[in-house]
Amino acid sequence: MEQVGLAAAASEVSLWSLFMQAGLVVKLVMIGLIGASVWTWAIVIDKYISFGKAKRQFDQFEQVFWSGQSLEELYRTLSERTNTGLAAIFVAAMREWKKSFERGARSPIGLQMRIDRAMDVTMSREAETYEARLGSLATIGSAGPFIGLFGTVVGIMTSFQAIAGSKSTNLAVVAPGIAEALLATAIGLVAAIPAVIAYNKFTADAGKLSGRMEGFADEFSAILSRQIDEKLQPRQAAQ
Amino acid sequence: MKVSLGTSLVLHSLVLGLALVSLSAPASFEVADVEAVPVEIISDTQMMQGDKKAPPAEKPSVKPTTNKKVVDNAQNSGENDVDLKSPPTPTRKPVQNETAAAQKPVERPVPTPTEEQNQVKDVVKEETAPKPAEVAALPQPKPEITPPIPKPEPTPPVPTPAKPEPKPEAAKPTPAPVQAENTSDTGELPPQVATPVSKPTPPKPEPPKPEPPKEQAKPVEKPQPPKPDTKPAETATAMDSKATQSAPQTDKKDGKKQETAKASSSKSSDFNADQIASLLNKQDASGGGAKRSSTPVSTGSTKPSSGAKLSLSEMDALRGQIANNWNTIAGLDGLKGMVIRVRMKLDQSGAIVGDPEVSSSGGSDNVRSTMEASARRAVLRSSPFKNLPSEKYDSWSEVVVNFDPSDLGL
Repeated sequence: MEQVGLAAAASEVSLWSLFMQAGLVVKLVMIGLIGASVWTWAIVIDKYISFGKAKRQFDQFEQVFWSGQSLEELYRTLSERTNTGLAAIFVAAMREWKKSFERGARSPIGLQMRIDRAMDVTMSREAETYEARLGSLATIGSAGPFIGLFGTVVGIMTSFQAIAGSKSTNLAVVAPGIAEALLATAIGLVAAIPAVIAYNKFTADAGKLSGRMEGFADEFSAILSRQIDEKLQPRQAAQ
Repeated sequence: MKVSLGTSLVLHSLVLGLALVSLSAPASFEVADVEAVPVEIISDTQMMQGDKKAPPAEKPSVKPTTNKKVVDNAQNSGENDVDLKSPPTPTRKPVQNETAAAQKPVERPVPTPTEEQNQVKDVVKEETAPKPAEVAALPQPKPEITPPIPKPEPTPPVPTPAKPEPKPEAAKPTPAPVQAENTSDTGELPPQVATPVSKPTPPKPEPPKPEPPKEQAKPVEKPQPPKPDTKPAETATAMDSKATQSAPQTDKKDGKKQETAKASSSKSSDFNADQIASLLNKQDASGGGAKRSSTPVSTGSTKPSSGAKLSLSEMDALRGQIANNWNTIAGLDGLKGMVIRVRMKLDQSGAIVGDPEVSSSGGSDNVRSTMEASARRAVLRSSPFKNLPSEKYDSWSEVVVNFDPSDLGL
């Protein structure tokens, strides 16, 4: 551990000099916390953009879906591109339905089950992408202050050792070491507070999106089961 | 994700950069420089006056004074006759005599110098009212008495000296004899006072005298009283030709003096601004105290002490107390030339404060350490020390005692 330069500290108390005076451990803690803050904000920005986008896509898709357009036609246009959210669920369900009909489904119950499974898988996969990295936000939010506190404790320890060496209890000697140590806690809090807020907001948003997906999946499976009944009934009657 | 990570990095670097610039140096608190200053409370008895620039000495002393006059209970040293707290003013010297006292004698000499005039004054004062009565009386004797008495006297000198002189003498002496008689008659004057009616008469007979024109009714009387005294003098001087001339002059002078005396006495009752102004002391007071100092200038010693050291007997008593508690160790060699030095700090009660410092020199190493240990024991055992004069605590608060083992009977 480096000896804290207390003598020089008396004159300079700027942020940069505080950082440079800090010991190696405290420096590492500070750098790590700054990195965590950067990561937190990266996630915040990313999630903000992606959630906004997903919401818009959901609205757009629902508008198209309920516009009375032919589902076959909608499937043909959507299947040509990669889909997310509701569109992905719709495409997955339609694909399964088409496959079953082209080969000549025997049981309407089995077809219904297969379509539901396909929609569930797609839905969970989509929900996963929405909740991705929210866990790291939670980790930073809860662990950030502790990491900062650790840096502070170590910094104060070293500064007290240095004070013991200098044999002076003058406040001008004591203060800079403690200020520098407290900087670690400050950075920890700076990283943790936005992380906690963002985590709470984005988990709620992700929950809302997956709720919407579930609702759509249920509605769509109801529509499909009606279709299955309509298509299989004449076939059974003909037999 | 890459895009958002990049934007986050950019944002952070921006914020940190701003923080480095704006929060770089928080304004330090404006704290008045109140460094703790050690304060020692000094009692009156510990205060001494010395000269800051003088070399140090056992006892502090101010510059020796040259003024021999001793002022009782003077507190402030200086050359002044009056004990003043203000520092001496370098430009002014102490006042030796006061101007007010010097002026008075100048005025009074006029009436005082000769007894004759004093008498005159008295007469004048008493007779201010009866003046005319006297005047009336005077003219009468003149014609009768003057010729006979003055003539015989001046005549003898006349033949021998100079001729012109007798004439003035004859003219002036004439009044003198009259007055001579008058003086003898002064006791009789009061009866004459009773006759005031003769006022108008006096002026006429007087004109013949040389003095009357200058003097008014009052002066006439004055010349007469002095004359009796001067007359004998004149008669004596008349023998000398020179004196004869001086006689009339003295007469005139006397007359004038009397006039001035009169004027001053009449004015004395009035307010005289000049007189009061002359009484005022226009000299500025010089500062400085009146305490005398005879010892040479010194700034005193760095250690506050009353200057009293422990006397030899007191020192011996202290050494004896330690020696009594010294357990002698028999059979030690190598004590020759050994000196044990004990330095200790004592409190007011004589008890040792802290650890006594024991050092020794001479003798062999082993014996030295043994003796040091035994000296320490002896010193600690004999604490608190008794019979130390409390008024000299300054000198024994830290005391060094030297022992020679041979003195201790070792």
